Formats: sequence, structure tokens, C-alpha cells
Amino acid sequence: MSETSSDEARRLAEGARDRVDFEEEALALADQVYRVARGVSRSKEEAEDLMQDTYARAFRSWQSYTPGTNLRAWLLRILTNLNIDRGRRAQRTPDQQPLEEGDYFLYNRIEAATGETEEDRVLERLSQDHVAEALSAVPHDFRDVVVLVDIGDFSYADAAQILDIPIGTVMSRLHRGRRILKKELAEMAVESQ
Amino acid sequence: MTAIDPCDWCEEVLQPYLDRDLTDAERREAEGHLESCSFCSKRYRFEEGLRRLVHQAVVEPMAPSLKQRLAQLRLEL
Repeated sequence: MSETSSDEARRLAEGARDRVDFEEEALALADQVYRVARGVSRSKEEAEDLMQDTYARAFRSWQSYTPGTNLRAWLLRILTNLNIDRGRRAQRTPDQQPLEEGDYFLYNRIEAATGETEEDRVLERLSQDHVAEALSAVPHDFRDVVVLVDIGDFSYADAAQILDIPIGTVMSRLHRGRRILKKELAEMAVESQ
Repeated sequence: MTAIDPCDWCEEVLQPYLDRDLTDAERREAEGHLESCSFCSKRYRFEEGLRRLVHQAVVEPMAPSLKQRLAQLRLEL
């Protein structure tokens, strides 16, 4: 073997090793990525499709990932972009969304409907099923931020990077998204009385 | 200057308070109000519980079959 071809072989072997490392690291994060996928999807099936598309794209474009940077955020950026591509453009823009109620609205509604006056008892009126259902009723732009920060534990800065929006927009969408979520929850909690 | 109802103000700062996103002066003012106001303090404790509930909302783990399918998407060597 000439020296040139052995250099070439070594380079190929290194490239293959880098790729395998990348793939293993990405797969090790799949449970965490799935939490976000499930949070932004209406069903388990939709979340699974989104995961497969995300990983297929990630594996194809692994060379655009810079080793040592936040791989979880990189994967979620692919995921949220794919989710936007999936017919989300038809949604109303945030400005056209109805105004949400204040932050005490949910507590006040449950207290008024049930007569419960202790916060633990008021909270017991809500189940995780309620939360999951209410979350799916929150418009996507708001839901993405709530899911990334309140379920995925991302910082405002990471969420801004993943969604490619300014940090101030992350904060305002988070604030409104949480209020919209509570308004949806209030309707469910009172209906299920 | 119009006086702001302290409970209305407390409702407005509930999220930044729990996000630790208030200035020291605002945080002290909120804590001072919460110590003396059971109406607001109940609602703050409720909100903390609600955040825990939301955090756990997606508890269903990923199906093992999906994990396998993801691994199969790896590129051929």
C-alpha cells in the first residue's frame, strides 16, 4: 500500500469512528428527546414518527454537528424544525390568539366550582391526563416553549437557540403559554366535576 | 401614581418569581406580601405543585420497539 492510500485509509477509519461515536451519543439521548417529541405531538404515533424523522435526518447530517457542543439542543432543533414543516404553517399566528386569563384563574375556577380552599386539595382535582390533554390544546408556538422549558428543563437561552427566536420571545411565549395551559386546564377540571 | 392592588401585582409576578427572574427588591416585596396574604400564598403553592405536575406530564417512556427502529436508522458503515 502506498503512503497516500494508507493516509486515506486512516482518515476514513477516523471518520467512521467519529460517526459511530456521534450515533451512539445521539441514541443515548433518545429518551430525553422523546419527552419533548411526545409533549409537542398529539399522539404517541405522531411522536414516534417525529422521532424517526429526526434521527434519520440527524444521522444523515452528522457532519454539521460540532463535537463538544450541546447535542441534545442540536437534535431538538432538528425535531422542532421538522415539526414546523408538518403543516404548522396553517396555524394562526400568536398575535391572533385570544388573550389568556391571569395566573390565578385556574385556582380560582377550581375553588369556586368545588368549594375546596386548601391548595393541595385544589391540585388533587387535576390529573396528568388533564395536563397532557390541555397541553395538546395550547397553540404550537406557545406549546413548544412550555414543553422545552417546563418539561425538557431547557434554559431560556437553549430554547431560544433551538427554536431560533429571540430570548425575549421565549419569555413572553412561555408566560402566555403557561396561562393558556391553565385556562384549558380550568375548563377540563370544572367540566369533570 | 395610581396605587396597584398588591394581590394583582403579586399575580403578575408569580411566574417570574418562581423562575427566579425578579430583581432583589421585587423579590423582597413579593415575599413580604406572601407572608401576610394567605390568598396569594395559597395560589403560589398551588402553582409550584402545578409545575411539578406539568413536568411529569409526559411520563410514558419511549417504546423499546422505537428505540430499535432508531438504532436501525444508523448509516451503513
